[in-house]
Amino acid sequence: MSETVVGPQPSSGTTPPLATLPPAKARPNPDRWKGLVIILIMINTILVAIIAGLQTDANIRANTANSDSQYYAVLASGELQRQGLQGNYDMTTYSRILDNIQRSLVMQFTALQQEQNGDKAGAALSTLQGQVAQAQADTAKKFSIFYQDPRYAPKGADDVPNLQSYVIDSTAQANALVAKQNAASDTYKKWSGKSDSYVAVLTILAITFFLFGIAQSVNPRLRLLFAGFGITVMVLGVGWGLVILIG
Amino acid sequence: MSEETPREHRLDLVIAFLIAIVSLTTALAAWRTNAVGSAAGDATRQGLIDAVKKQAAANEDWRKLYEEAAYAQSYAVTLAGVEAMEASRDTTAAAQAANMRQYLLPSIIKLSDPLGTDPKYQLKDGTYDLAMRFADIEAESPDLMKLDPQVSFALAGWYNSEQRWLMLGTVLLAISLLWLALSELGGSRMRLGTLGIGVIIYLFGLAWFFFIEALFFFLRGGAL
Repeated sequence: MSETVVGPQPSSGTTPPLATLPPAKARPNPDRWKGLVIILIMINTILVAIIAGLQTDANIRANTANSDSQYYAVLASGELQRQGLQGNYDMTTYSRILDNIQRSLVMQFTALQQEQNGDKAGAALSTLQGQVAQAQADTAKKFSIFYQDPRYAPKGADDVPNLQSYVIDSTAQANALVAKQNAASDTYKKWSGKSDSYVAVLTILAITFFLFGIAQSVNPRLRLLFAGFGITVMVLGVGWGLVILIG
Repeated sequence: MSEETPREHRLDLVIAFLIAIVSLTTALAAWRTNAVGSAAGDATRQGLIDAVKKQAAANEDWRKLYEEAAYAQSYAVTLAGVEAMEASRDTTAAAQAANMRQYLLPSIIKLSDPLGTDPKYQLKDGTYDLAMRFADIEAESPDLMKLDPQVSFALAGWYNSEQRWLMLGTVLLAISLLWLALSELGGSRMRLGTLGIGVIIYLFGLAWFFFIEALFFFLRGGAL
């Protein structure tokens, strides 16, 4: 094994005076900039912790909104079912009223014609049928929301029930639930997207860890270079994280 | 290269043991954090199942109610016609009304049972108390009526909140692990400093973790 000799070689047994030797080159410190990289690793760790926390929070919010959305969908479908049954009942009742009123009018008209033609027995029968139909119409009105509820009942004798208000009111609950469901679904999409983006930022910060790790294991000049790369990637990650947080 | 002194050797061993302990603690904390998240998911799932069951039962109850209501109304309307026929002086109509009352009306009212038959549902104006009947139909399925999805959703909310805070504790433990690793790798000057920081963060993270566990254990009413 050869020994490194610094300065000129000694010649023919004479030892030159120490004062004439050139000064020994100072060895570069192999640990140079390691402290800086450690601080950078520490900063990156804190950033990872923050982003991981934000990612967990976004994920929880997305899950909560998702379950809310599904819950409102169940409620909305149930309300639509209920409203359909009630609407069917109300409209059937209303059509029964209209049918009996018209039947009564037709019978009364027939009775008049029969009376004019001298058919008194026929007129009496038609009158009776008209009275029966009218009695049935009057009874059906007691069951009808269109005649019992002041919101829809006809205002005058010749008016008709307010069907438009009925349709608006009867679908209001279902529409409100669907609106809530849509809002929850939008919230889910928003937080789910944020959660996914935070995962991408975490991946970027993991690359930063890798670059800082390499920086620790190479010579001081390359260490600075890798630290620079790491800082660049870290800044990109933080920037993206901020965009996600604000957005 | 200088030889490692016995003191430094002992410190290396201490750091190695600490790293092992902190790694294990961090792994357990990560497991518990995920378990809490999973419990939140389970509670949410239970809430949705309860909501679907309850809504399906309510749908069937509404269907039954309106079926009875339609028959009860049909009975009342037919009865009004029969009464009009009975009130007339026409013998044919009276005879028809008598037979309708005897044979037709009992069949119709039977279909509306119990809304049309039980006096407690009959109102003074001749109509029926649909709200009372619906409440009674719902009471016939007490198991389904007892289901309350909001209880499960509230429990899921507690678990979600706990998961957020446990995540913070887990991150603290992970950070302490990093500092301990740095103390193992770093130069002799900064070893004790980084080791001290690591141990302090670890103890704080551990205390935080147990505090959050205990707090949410009581907030959830004893549910793990």
